[in-house]
Amino acid sequence: MRGLINKILFYSALFLGKIMIHLLRITGYGGTSLPGKLAMAVCPDILRILAAKYRIIMVTGTNGKTTTSRIIEQILAENQIKYVSNKSGANLVSGLTTTLISDVRLNGSPSSPTALLEVDEAAFRAASKHVHPAVLVVTNFFRDQLDRYGELYHTVEAVRDGIRSNPDTTLILNGDDSLCASLGRNVKNPVIYYGMDKLPDNEEENGRHDNSDASYCLWCKTRYVYLYHIYSHLGYYKCPECGYERPEPLVHVARIPAMTSEFSTAVINTPSGSFQAHINLPGLYNIYNALAAVTFAEVLGFSHEKTIKALARFESGFGRMETIPLDEKNIQVILIKNPTGLSQVLKYLTTVEKKSVICFMINDKLADGTDISWLYDVDFESLKNMQDRISRIFVSGTRAEDMAVRLKYAGIYTDSITIEKNNHIMLNSAVNLLNAGETLYILPTYTALLEIRKLLKKRFKLKNFWQ
Amino acid sequence: MYEINICHLYPDLLNLYGDYGNIQALVRRLEWRGINVQVHPVSIGDPFVPDRYDIVFIGGGQDFEQDILHKDLLTLKKKPLIEAVENGTVFLCICGGYQLMGQYYRFSDGTEIECLGAMNHWTIGHEKRLTGNLVFRIEGLKQQPDGLVVGFENHSGKTYLGDGVSPLGKVVYGHGNNGEDGYEGARYKNVFCSYSHGSLLPKNPALTDELITIALKKKYPDFVSLQPLNDRIETLARESMIKRLIKP
Repeated sequence: MRGLINKILFYSALFLGKIMIHLLRITGYGGTSLPGKLAMAVCPDILRILAAKYRIIMVTGTNGKTTTSRIIEQILAENQIKYVSNKSGANLVSGLTTTLISDVRLNGSPSSPTALLEVDEAAFRAASKHVHPAVLVVTNFFRDQLDRYGELYHTVEAVRDGIRSNPDTTLILNGDDSLCASLGRNVKNPVIYYGMDKLPDNEEENGRHDNSDASYCLWCKTRYVYLYHIYSHLGYYKCPECGYERPEPLVHVARIPAMTSEFSTAVINTPSGSFQAHINLPGLYNIYNALAAVTFAEVLGFSHEKTIKALARFESGFGRMETIPLDEKNIQVILIKNPTGLSQVLKYLTTVEKKSVICFMINDKLADGTDISWLYDVDFESLKNMQDRISRIFVSGTRAEDMAVRLKYAGIYTDSITIEKNNHIMLNSAVNLLNAGETLYILPTYTALLEIRKLLKKRFKLKNFWQ
Repeated sequence: MYEINICHLYPDLLNLYGDYGNIQALVRRLEWRGINVQVHPVSIGDPFVPDRYDIVFIGGGQDFEQDILHKDLLTLKKKPLIEAVENGTVFLCICGGYQLMGQYYRFSDGTEIECLGAMNHWTIGHEKRLTGNLVFRIEGLKQQPDGLVVGFENHSGKTYLGDGVSPLGKVVYGHGNNGEDGYEGARYKNVFCSYSHGSLLPKNPALTDELITIALKKKYPDFVSLQPLNDRIETLARESMIKRLIKP
C-alpha cells in the first residue's frame, strides 16, 4: 500500500513539475528552480528517485563551476554521449530537481542516461544526500559573499561532509588549492589531482591581495611555505610543520605558449601522453577550468583528439565572457561574484591592447550578497596601469556610488568615471564611445547580470538563458 | 614635512570584509595632502614597538585565523599594545579587532577566550548573527554636522561596554554593539572601535580625517588643521545609503 502511495506521489510530482516547466517557458520566464521546488513539496524523495536513474557528474567549488561544466558538456558532445545539464545555472537542490524532471519521460525513464550537474558549494551537502555522483569535480575554494556563505572554512567542511556520504565517487580535485586538495585526504574515494607547473613569468606577486584566503595550514595552523604561486592561494604550498603539501598532480599544465585577450594555448601532460590545446576563452583562471575538464576526460578515457576539439569549440556560459558582436564593435559580459574572481578578470582586462569602455554593475540584493565590502578586497589598483587605454568607466547598479568610491581610492581619475544608474542610457552612451574594433566590457554582479542580459536580449535578440 | 606611520596588525590573518579599504583611505587622504605616509605590516612573531606608530589598525578575521594569532597577541603584543593605547596612539579596531581589545569573548556554550584587556568591554557569542546595513551618529564629528556614519555589520558576538569606555555613536539603523542598548562601537582615549565595515573609512571621510587630525596633532604640536578635499563621490555614496535606509 505504502509503495503504491509513494509511486502515485512520485508520478504526480513529476507530472506537475513538467507542466510547470512548460508553462514557465511559454510565458517566457524560463522557470529553473520553481518546478523542482513544487515537485519536492509533493514528493520529497523525487530527487533521490530520479538521480538513481542517471550516471551523474557533479561540478562544485567557488569559481569556474559554470565554465568547467560547459567544457565538460562539449567533451561529452564530441564523444557522442547524450547528457542533460542544468545549463541555466540553477544550481541549488531545487534547480537540480527541475533539470532531471525536464529530462525524464513521463513513464519515469531518462531520455539521456548521463546528467551533468553544477552544484552550489553551499548546497552540495544537501544535494549529496539525494544524489550520488559517479564523478565529482571540485574547482577551488575562495572567500565568497560572507553574508551568504559564512566563513570559507565552514564551506570546505560542508563539502567534506557531503563527500563522506559518497565514498564511491571519483574525486577530481584542484591540487594547487590547499583547501580543495584537503578533500582527498583520509577518504576511501578514488582521487585524481590536477595542477599547474611553475610558469616562467610567474614571479612572486606583491603580497597584498595574494594568498590571503588560506595562508596557514588547514591541519596544524602553521604558515605555508610556497615553492611558487599561480594566483591567490593557488600554487605549490608546503607546510613546514606537519608536511602537508601540494599532491603530485596526475594531469598538469606544463607550459602556456600563448595567452591573448581572446584565447590561450596550453601544453597539458596526462598519464596517456602530452598535448597542446587551444582554449577558447582567455584568462589564466580559464586554463584551470579547462584543466579540470581535461582531467575529467582523462578519467573517462576519452581520446585527446576529441578533448582538443572540445577545448577549441566550447561556448562560454551565460554571462561568462559571453561576447555580443555589433557591427564593428563588441560587448563582452563577465559575471563578477567575489574578490579572487574579479581580480582575475581585471588581470585579463590589462591584456587587452585596444582601447575599451568598462562598466561595473554592482547590486546588493540577496543573490549578489548584501555586503559590498568585498570590493575592497579586489585589486582595482591593477587598472591604474591601463588608464590610458580606458575611454571611460561607467558604474551602475544599486551600489554604483560605492563602486565609484572604490575606484577613486584605487587611484583611478574621478574624471574618467561616470555614475549612471539607468541601464538604457549607460548602454547607449557606452556603445557610442566605442570606435571600430573596440569592446565594451560589462562586469555585473548576479542580479545585475539578469537585468543587463534582459536589456541586451531585447536589443540584440539573444538566446534565452536556459537554451 | 609631516609623516604618519600606520601599523597594520596581522594583515595576513585579520583581513575580512575589505579591511584593506580602511588602510587605503588613510593612506590616500594623507597622500592627497602631501603628507608622507608609511604602512607597516606587523604579524606573528614581529615585535610591536609602541612609539614607532601614529595609527594602529586592527581588522576582523575568521575563527580559524583568530585562533592562530591568539597566543602571539597575548604574549608578544599585549604589553606594548596596551602601552600604545595608554599613550594616546590612534587606534581603529573593526569587528574582530574590536572584540580583541576588550576583556573576553564568551561563547554560547560558556567557554571563554581571554582578550587583550586594553579596554573595559566584553563580548558574548550568540547563535543569531547581527547582519545588515548600519547607520550610526557620532556626536561632534567635525566636517560633518549630521554626524551620520554608514557601514555594514556582520557579527555573532554582542558587545557590552563597562566603566571608562564610551560608545562611539548611537545606532540610527541596524543593530550596533548588541541590538539592545542602541549604541554602536566604543571610544577610549584615542581608540576608535566599531562593528562597521563596508569599508568604514572610504565612505565616511569626516571620520577618516578626524583620525588623521588626532594623530597629526599628537605628533606635531604646531599642526592646526587638514586641508579640505573634494569629497563629492564619497558624499554621494554615503547619502544615497542614508536616503535609502532612513525614512525622512
